[in-house]
This record gives sequence, structure tokens and C-alpha cells, in this order.
Amino acid sequence: MDPEAARTARESLDLAFQMSNILDTGLDRHTLSVLIALCDLGLNPEALTAVVKELRREPFSSAPVLPPSSFP
Amino acid sequence: MSGPNMEYVFPKRWKIRENRFQYFRAHVKSKKGKRPYGLSPLQNSTVAEPTPRFLLLFTFYIYCREMEEDDQQKLMDLVKELVVRLLSQKGPNSVPQDPGSPQFHASLRYALRILSSHLAPSAAADADAIAESIKRHLSNHGKSSYALAFADLYTKFASKTGPGSVNNKFGVLHLLKIISEDRISAWNEVNSPSLLPNLECLDAEVGDRWRVSHERDNGVSLVSKDAESFRKVAFKEYADLAKEESEVSEELLVRDVLYACQGIDGKYVKFGTIVDGYILPDMVRVPRATRTIVRKLCELGWLFRKVKGYISESMDRFPAEDVGTVGQALCAALQDELSEYYKLLAILEAQSMNRIPLVSESANSGNYLTLRRLSVWLAEPLVKMRLMAVLVDKCHVLRGGAMAGTIHLMAQHGDPLIHEFMKRLLTRVCSPLFEMVRSWVLEGELEDIFAEFFILGQQVKAESLWREGYRLHTGMLPPFISNSLALKILRTGKSINFLRVCCEDRGWAEAAMEAASAVGTTTRRGSLGYGEKESLESLVDEAAKRIDRHLLNVMYNRYKFKEHCLAIKRYLLLGQGDFVQYLMDIIWPELSEPANTIGSFKLAGLLESAIRSSNAQYDEQDVLNRLRVKMMPHSTGDRGWDVFSLEYDPRVPLDTIFTESVMAKYLRIFNFLWKLRRVEHALIGAWKTMKPNCITSQAFLKLQQDVKMQLLSTLRRCQVLWNEMNHFVTNLQDYIMLEVLEVSWLNFSLEMEAAKDLDDLLMAHEKYLSSILEKSLLGERSQSLHKSLFILFDLILRFRSHADRLYEGILELQTRTGESSLASKDKNKLQRHKNDGTLENGSWTTEGRKGLTHRASEFLRNMKRDLDSIAKEYTSLLEGFLSQLPVQQHIDLKFLMFRLDFTEFYSRLSLKKT
Repeated sequence: MDPEAARTARESLDLAFQMSNILDTGLDRHTLSVLIALCDLGLNPEALTAVVKELRREPFSSAPVLPPSSFP
Repeated sequence: MSGPNMEYVFPKRWKIRENRFQYFRAHVKSKKGKRPYGLSPLQNSTVAEPTPRFLLLFTFYIYCREMEEDDQQKLMDLVKELVVRLLSQKGPNSVPQDPGSPQFHASLRYALRILSSHLAPSAAADADAIAESIKRHLSNHGKSSYALAFADLYTKFASKTGPGSVNNKFGVLHLLKIISEDRISAWNEVNSPSLLPNLECLDAEVGDRWRVSHERDNGVSLVSKDAESFRKVAFKEYADLAKEESEVSEELLVRDVLYACQGIDGKYVKFGTIVDGYILPDMVRVPRATRTIVRKLCELGWLFRKVKGYISESMDRFPAEDVGTVGQALCAALQDELSEYYKLLAILEAQSMNRIPLVSESANSGNYLTLRRLSVWLAEPLVKMRLMAVLVDKCHVLRGGAMAGTIHLMAQHGDPLIHEFMKRLLTRVCSPLFEMVRSWVLEGELEDIFAEFFILGQQVKAESLWREGYRLHTGMLPPFISNSLALKILRTGKSINFLRVCCEDRGWAEAAMEAASAVGTTTRRGSLGYGEKESLESLVDEAAKRIDRHLLNVMYNRYKFKEHCLAIKRYLLLGQGDFVQYLMDIIWPELSEPANTIGSFKLAGLLESAIRSSNAQYDEQDVLNRLRVKMMPHSTGDRGWDVFSLEYDPRVPLDTIFTESVMAKYLRIFNFLWKLRRVEHALIGAWKTMKPNCITSQAFLKLQQDVKMQLLSTLRRCQVLWNEMNHFVTNLQDYIMLEVLEVSWLNFSLEMEAAKDLDDLLMAHEKYLSSILEKSLLGERSQSLHKSLFILFDLILRFRSHADRLYEGILELQTRTGESSLASKDKNKLQRHKNDGTLENGSWTTEGRKGLTHRASEFLRNMKRDLDSIAKEYTSLLEGFLSQLPVQQHIDLKFLMFRLDFTEFYSRLSLKKT
């Protein structure tokens, strides 16, 4: 990428990071950059948020529970 | 569908892709055998890598998204990276994950599953809207400084375009927003006491079931895992219920309501005469809420019917001359308002053609019309239509100025919408009224077929045209024309008509044109309007000023009002002294006869000679022609004195001022003054005989002492009495002539100068006359005084006759005495015999001196007794009269008192008595 684009990208990321801080999302810069890249690629932002929320959950939910295997 | 095919429900348009999916699935199945699909992502499994199934699904998903190959790889890498990051952020005691742990793979699988299950965003892709909602959310929660900072950042963020910037800004913002909301709700969840069940398993189950149950043939199901979907489910159930309950779709109802708003029965909504409104009949099955809202909206239709009914009724009635021009103007204005209303309805009808999307569909802001949107649109027309219906109710029975007044009162409203609306109506409605005012004021024309104007005219004779020809009709006077303005309008038009009819004058037309040009309007139609009150007032002012001036000019110059007034004063009020004197002299013997023997022709001749021999002959011929003798209706026993009077003939137009009643008043004053003159004349006549002459003086020398004394005392008594009476009459006469007549005349001429119009002049003249009447004791409250005055006059006349008799007796005595002395050839003895005399003139016998003396003394004694009685009566009457004078409160008689009692003789006399 040319330096101009790189600078734009950095500044955009900075702004997005500040916005996410205001909104208290708890995302760090790196995660946010990944998320932005995924959004740009066209993924549904709601899906991404679902991913973020699920994977962020407290360890108690990570206890192995067998789901009823009623599904074919 | 059952089995693995139930995982995805594709839209029908994706049939091609579905085939491909089937192919892939078959391929996978053949390779690896069946696996349970609904594995928990974190279940301990021996799978080290994401299963091919997941990969397949994800690949399929990506394929459906039509991505490039290298992008796909980038995608996978990014997702892996994300999972790593998120897992390592989980808590302070988390260990950084390595890509190889089974936990990681489970998470990755889970993430991929989630990602592939979301196929459509649930909101419009508008970054600005999201930013706005975030800002609002921040400021609502009290973090307004954050909101400002956010706004700042967002502007900078949004301005970054070009390579290296974020393309899907919306996506980023949406992401941030939902993450922050989730965090907040997660905080609340964690802090709440109730433990949530095992969400992920539940989610897995419920998610499947939801995916199953949301089959639609024309929609794509939205699946998400958060609490919003509860709401969505409930909403969908409601939509189903609503669809079942109503057999009529909302579009048809909307169309029917629009028809009802124009007064036409629709297919379902009809006019119920019993309830007097537009309703849905009970047979039509609609939910009650819909029924209520339809009923509410159809109130507009009811009001519309009312207004339209009034308009068409008025239009029909117009040829029968029941509705006036003002009513017509109101109908025209209402029709204009209704045409605005029709325009709105046409637009709404065009919109109602668009299909109303179902509840479950995404409702974008397209052009469609539900009942609710209709109620919003129809809110303002409803207000206006209500106004019009109230107006129609109130004005139903009114007409003309009263209608304008009612509308004006309704316009006094604080709401600017209502005020503007009423003002518009009023401008139209008042234009016929103002037109009538204009034509009345400038031309004197009263074109009022429907009796709507506040000036009424009636047919009267020319002489009462001014007073009774036109009057104000306060019922039709609108409140925005004040009473004084209305009076001015009335007077101006009246003056023009008066000039035209009575004075036959055409000069007012120029005056009117001048007035109009001075104000700036023209004399044509349609130049005044409601709300231009100043222009109306100035027009009326100018017209009134000019026309009044013109009228007064005509009165003074052409009809010589002043001169006639003066002539009346000189002749009827006996101002022309020499004429009156001469008339009195020659007419005295005539009037002593009984009334029915006097010929008026003779009296007229006497009047003529009186005029000719006095200064009156130099007066104008026109004036002298109007002076006539009038004989009042007499009964038997009347003398000429009681029926004689003069009169003056005012002709048109002066008889507006000198009406019958006015002339009657003049007559009363004339009678009084004439009587006063008669008494004065009588006393002067008595003086003529009483003044010292040789007859009486010679009587003294030849008489005996006692008779002489008697004679002297009688004479003296007579003279004293005469003096008193003369003093009284003279002073009264002077008082009346100078202080009453002259002063009133002076005041009147001053007011005549200052009079600005005919009404002023009439009032001044009335005042003049009434002041004369009051001050000369002819008013109603001075009746007792007046009566006593007339008794005094009668007494004086009796005195005169007594005095005459006395002197006649003395004269006869003298002649008798002279005869008897002649008989004795002694001239000196003549006088002695004169003293004889009896009261009967005819029965004289020549007697000796003794008889004569005896008779003389007897005569004189009688006379003295009579004179004494007269004197006593006179004194008491005069005292009574004088005592009443200061008590009069309504007139100021102190000058009369002053004159009569100058030396305070009478007041001291009365004091002595009491």
C-alpha cells in the first residue's frame, strides 16, 4: 500500500478506536482492526457482534454440557 | 422438510444454489459419513480441525456471497485471528490461546456457524442514521460531552475516503453500537440475581426450532440470538391474528374512509341515519380498534356533509330572495375552502392506491396509506371543517351585518390558524357590506334588496326626510364598525339624499368625488375590504366633512337660513319694536270684539299697513310674504285677544328645522309676549289719561275740602298703584326682551357659526328655543309661576278699566259741575257740581251742589274701595310671585328678582309681615 493509503488507514483505525472507547465496547485496537477488515469484506456486522459476544462470555458457560442429541 | 435439509431455508430465488448445495452435501456425505449436526461448539470432541461440513457450509456461504478466492483465504485468516484475540481477552486469568487447542477449534467452528447464519442485515445501511442514533443514545444517558466527542470523531471518520479507508462505515458503526449495547445488557445480566440458564445449549435448540417455525412463502426469516427476536415473534403472531380478524383489508377501508370524507357512501362505510354518522355496519367483521378509528375519521365526513348541505341549500334559496348577498359571499368563500380540501383528498386517494406492506415486512418510508397515516393527514382538515360546521350552524339564520358580526366575533380567537381562516372568510363576506357603505356614503344610494345593511330607509314626506327618513338598524351593525362611525355614515348619506330631494342640488357629486380622490380610492366598486378599517374611516370622514360643508353652504346661502331665523325673531318674537307698536295701536280696537265677529281679511289688511308704516317695509319681499295673521280655533266667549297670532311660513327645506312642533313653540312664546305687550299698552293708555292735565287740576280748586281730600287720596292711590304695576310690567318686559331673547339669540348665532352639519344646527336651534321657553316661565316646571303671572296680568287689566272709569267719573263730575255753575252763570261753580256723580252714568239729575258733592264723595269712596281691593290683591299676588322666584332651581331668575326688587322694597315688606 502506498504511504498515503497507509496513513488514511491508520487514521481511520485511530478514529474508530476512539469511537469504540467512547462507546465502551472493550475492544482493543488489534481486534478492532480485524473486525473492520471483516466488515469491509462484506460480512454481516450483526453476525460479527454475535461472534464477539459469544466468544467473550464468562468461563462458566464453557463447562461441557451435552446437548440433547435429538437432531438427526 | 426434515433432516439436514432443515438447516437452511432458502429463498425461492436461490433454487440454483440449492441444487449446488445438494451436490456438495452429497459429496460430503459420501466422504465422511453422518455426523450429528447440532454439536455444541465447546463440546469435547476429538476433532482437531473444523469439520469439513462446517468448512463446506462456510464455503458455500462465501460462494453465495460471490467472493474472490484470495479474499476467501483472507477471510478465514481474519476469522481465526479474531477468535484468538477474543478468547485471549476473556479475563485476567486467561491464558493466551494457541491455534492448536481444541477450545480454539470449537470456538472457531462456532464462530463460523454464527457468521454463516446471518444473511441479511435488519436495518437500512445508513451510516449517518446510526451515528445519529448513537449520539442521541449518549446524550440521553447524560454523557453529552461524549456525544459531542463522538460527533466530532464521526465527522472525521466519515470524511476519510479513498484507498486505505474503511469502505463499510455503516458496518463498523453498527458493530460498535451493538457491541456496546450488548455489553451494557451483559453487565445487567451478570448483576441480576437470577442465574440465566445455559444459554448456548438453549440457543442451539431454540435457534433450530425457530428456524423451523418461521416458514413463510414470501419472506426470509430473520434469525438472531438476542432478545429482539422475542419481540419479532410476538409481532408476527399479532400480524397473523389481525389478518384473521378482519375480513376487509386495510386498503379498502382507507378508500372507503376517503369516500366518506367527501360525503359519499363507500362499499363498507355507510351513512347511518339513526346514529347520524358514517359507520361500519356490524355485519362487517373488523377488529374493534379499526372500527373506532374509522368512526373517528368519518366525523370529517359528517362535518363535510353539513357544510356542503348549507352551501347547496343557500344556492337553491337564492332566487327566492331569502339569502342575501352576504350569505352568498359566505357560500363562495366556503366553497373555496372546500376546493382546497378536495385537493388534499385527491392527493390522499392517489397515495391510497399503493399497496400497504404487511406487518412483518420491512416498512420503509414509501408512499402507502394506512388508517393511522390517514388520521395524521386528516387532523388539520378536521379542525378546519369543524370550524366551518360551527360557522354554518351559527350563520344559518342570520343575514347581512349580523352574519358579519358573528363571524367577526368568532375570529377573535387566540389560535393563529383559526384567526387566519376566519379573517380570510371575513374579507370575502364583508365585501358586499363595504360596497353598500361606499355607495351610500358617496352617492346616497341604498341598494339593499335583502335588508342586510344597517341603515333603513322609509318613504316619508319631504319635510321629515331628515329626521325620520333614515335610521340605524343596530341589529345589522357589525361590531367592527363603531357606533360613531355608523352615525357619521348615516348622516353623510342622509345629507346627500336631503340635498337631492329637498334642496334640488347637484353639487354634492363633486364633493363626493373630491372626497374619494382625497382618500385614494375611486368611486367605483370593490375598493374597500375588511381589515382596512382605516381606509373606510378616512373615506367616511372625508366624505362627511365635504358633504356637510356643502349642505351648510346650501342652507345658508341658497336658502338664507340665518335671515329667516332673524326674521322670525323680529316678527314672531316681537323684536321689531316699531312694527309691533304700530300693530298694537291699530289692532287694539279690533281685538276687543268677540272672536267670531272678526274677519281675518281685515286683520291682514291691518298687518299690511303696520308693515308699511314701520321699518319693516325695508325688509326683503320674500320674508314679508311669509308673515301672516293666524286665527286660532275659538270657542264662544273668546275675545279677539285670545285667538290672534302671527305666523311665519317656512318652506322646504327650511321646514326641516322649523317643523310643526317648533312653530307651535314659537306660537306659545308669541302669545305670551303679545299678552305682555297688551298689558304694557294698557298701562300706557292709563297713563295717558292719568297724567296731570287741566281737567283734574282744575278739579282741585272748586271743591269742598273733604271731597277734595277724598279725591286727592283716590287719585294718589291710583297713581301709586299704577306706578307699581308699571314698574313690574316694564321690568318684566325688559327682562324678557333683553336677557332672555337677546342672550339666547347671541348664543344661538355663535353656535350657528360653529355648526359643522345639519344635526348640529338642529340641536342648536332646539337649545335656543327651549332656553327661551324656560326662561320666560313657559316651561312645564314653571306652571305655577306662569299661572300667577297671568293672574297678575288680568288684575292689571282690571285696574286699567277701573282707572278708566275713575277718570271718566272725574271728567263727568267736572262737566256736571261746570254745567251747574253755568246754570248759575258762575263759571267757578262749574267745578263743584262736577263732584256729583254716581256710578251710573245715565241717571244724572241736575241737583244742587250738595247733591253733587254727596254723589261725588260716594263715587270716590267706591272707587277708593275698589282700588284698595285691587291694590291689596295685587300686592299679595306680587308677593307670592316674587317669593316663588328664588325657589326656582331649573332656571336662573335672579336677574328678574334683581330688577323687580331692586330696592328690596318687597323683601323688606315680606320680612316686616312675618
